Amino acid sequence: MVVTGLGAVTAIGRRVEEFWANLTEGVCGIRPVSLFDASSYRTQTAAEVSEIPDDFLSPGQRRRMSRADRMGIVAAAEALAASGLDLSREDPTRIGVILGGGTSGLLDSEDFYARHLAGRKARPSRVLNHLPDAITDRIAQHWSLEGIKSTITTACSSSANAMGYAFDAISSGLADVVITGGSDVLARLTYGGFNSLRSVDPEPCRPFDRERRGLSIGEAAGILVFEEAERARRRGAPVQAEFLGYGVTSDAFHMTAPDPSGAAGGRTIRAALASAGVDAERIDYVNAHGTATPQNDSAETAALKDALGERARRIPVSSIKSMIGHCLCASGAIEAVATVLTVREGTVPPTIHYENPDPACDLDYVPNAAREADVRVAMSNSFAFGGNSTVVVFGRA
Amino acid sequence: MPARGWITGTGAVSPLGRSSEVFYRRLLAGETAIRPMTAEERGGLQATHVARCDGFTPQPELSPMKARRFDRGSQFAIVACCQAIAEARYDVAQDPESIGIALGTGSAGAGALTEFLRVLLTESPEAAPPFHFPNTVANAPASQVSIELKLYGPNVTVTQKDPSAVNALLFASLAIGSGRARAMIAGGVDEWNPVYALGFDRVSALRGEKRASGIVQGEGAFAILLEEESSARTRGARPLAALAGIGIAGVPTEPYRFAPDPRAMARAMKGALAEAGREADGIGLWFPSRDGVHDMDEAEREAAAEVFGSPPPELAVKLAVGEMAASGGGQLVAACRSLSDPEGPFAASGRPRRALVNSFGAGGNFLAVVLESPETAS
Repeated sequence: MVVTGLGAVTAIGRRVEEFWANLTEGVCGIRPVSLFDASSYRTQTAAEVSEIPDDFLSPGQRRRMSRADRMGIVAAAEALAASGLDLSREDPTRIGVILGGGTSGLLDSEDFYARHLAGRKARPSRVLNHLPDAITDRIAQHWSLEGIKSTITTACSSSANAMGYAFDAISSGLADVVITGGSDVLARLTYGGFNSLRSVDPEPCRPFDRERRGLSIGEAAGILVFEEAERARRRGAPVQAEFLGYGVTSDAFHMTAPDPSGAAGGRTIRAALASAGVDAERIDYVNAHGTATPQNDSAETAALKDALGERARRIPVSSIKSMIGHCLCASGAIEAVATVLTVREGTVPPTIHYENPDPACDLDYVPNAAREADVRVAMSNSFAFGGNSTVVVFGRA
Repeated sequence: MPARGWITGTGAVSPLGRSSEVFYRRLLAGETAIRPMTAEERGGLQATHVARCDGFTPQPELSPMKARRFDRGSQFAIVACCQAIAEARYDVAQDPESIGIALGTGSAGAGALTEFLRVLLTESPEAAPPFHFPNTVANAPASQVSIELKLYGPNVTVTQKDPSAVNALLFASLAIGSGRARAMIAGGVDEWNPVYALGFDRVSALRGEKRASGIVQGEGAFAILLEEESSARTRGARPLAALAGIGIAGVPTEPYRFAPDPRAMARAMKGALAEAGREADGIGLWFPSRDGVHDMDEAEREAAAEVFGSPPPELAVKLAVGEMAASGGGQLVAACRSLSDPEGPFAASGRPRRALVNSFGAGGNFLAVVLESPETAS
């Protein structure tokens, strides 16, 4: 199965090209929060998308849609255009939409709830926008698609899982093409929630650094067009990369803490390698979950060593969350977009803000500057609250 | 790679009782758990009715000490999943990596989410209780089940309107078909929440004093254990039913608008039958999606007329336990129990022991499932 289109809306680029240029330049998108008044929170920074290029939507459409809907539609439009699919000639029942979601348009629903709590009349039009399946339905609606629709809600691994579901749906013959990925935006709930757990760094996050103090929250839409390989080749599609396989497992350890031994994460990586049919020696790059919380980065390092053995020490591992923040339910998708571009372009994006080596994180994290590398097979890790772990594997086309 | 597998266990925490057997018996007896809302539940809603798991207690599956750690939805899910594993006599510890879970939900985490936000919005972000935040995620119930039962296999939560639980079964069947797991708990979980009810009431989804057409909200958890057939045989499992096919159809529409499209509904039903390799006249019992949304119910009648001609005997589960993302799980549990019931509706009608389950929802999301008795299959 192959990837024939990519779309990205992030704090450092509202199109794939701009995103990639800034990613490889090491541009940081973490800035003061502007979407709501953050002055009473413990921290005040996040990786926000500054302006959503949604001019092609009518004013009425924009009014009905949440911020997450609009970002998702923009990224899907870019991905579909890149794929070269002529939807007017396709069977709409064979094209599906499978996304990951969670926070979604909660920001709107929070406004409704705040007014309701204050005893004021609240406009109902966008009250249900936070239900994450809305974006999936809207993308299908926008392009008149009639195939499988599904939304995975496994918190921070949602959109990675969605790609896995898309892969299984195409492999089993349920669909020919699936628009997959996710769109998730900043909201008071997640911002306040991670702050309440003291998991947010007041400064831009520093993955794998000894002085790391937590994550930076981000928002993004990342959309990928998955297509059955033979069909894509027949129509001369611009194949970006191959989706080789994925692993999805349960830590069964703790609701918020990762297994520090790395055994749980190691199981997910091994499941992904088995699904992709590659051994550890063939992995050339890891796009890490790398949230910059003290617990995640050391547990993830241990998991990489557990599953990849000596290979883990010989390959680049980087966290683009240092630039675009932790985009929560969209992080798996936007990081998959970056992983596909890494495979396609032969450039590894850096982990920025990296200064102090940590003995518990002793791999090559590509500090502060991008690097040329011959990446034939790459994997991307996503770990979530609940111990929902997913690893996806891409290969050069 | 069609959806296949044996169903070897069921569990239910439902408005009609907290075991799949009680739920099924009361359903067959024609009971409904739909009742008028209390004044407290109703608040300022125009909606008048609800179906809830009144008097639910998590014992004996969870001790009182332990139960306190979980929110209502997670308690529902843990109890229902424990029941399914127990009925199947499945030994998780023997190979924890081979068993996973996929639940559908529309409301899991609602209690924690609305409480966390209430404090954040009315007091201050610093006052918001950190204890609640991890439970605001929709995957909390399935993940708590995986932690409780030590399931190391795939762990996924699906939210796609009313048929979320059947969508989760689809994921589960793919996980088994692709060799990612040999057994998957599949089903759904929902908790009734007053703020969510307000949202649905405001978008005109609920039946009440101002609207004759609309859903009555339910709550609960339903679980089935789906196993890869040959490994289930090897361990000597007794199947309640076999999964034979799943059909899915989408209609492009606004996310919270109903799309009463009989052609798309029929496409989902025929898709399930085609995958099962069966004709419509081989269906002995039909589980319609009927839930009180008039034009959707009417469209389903048209679809059934197209697919069946004259529809077989039916059991309308949602009219007994309410509508929710988990309701398809209730239909699946009821179908499995009736297929394995030596008396019951199949014995009464003498029709083939094969059921069609429709699970249709807002936003143009339609799924259908064919389940059959393993003897009928062979």
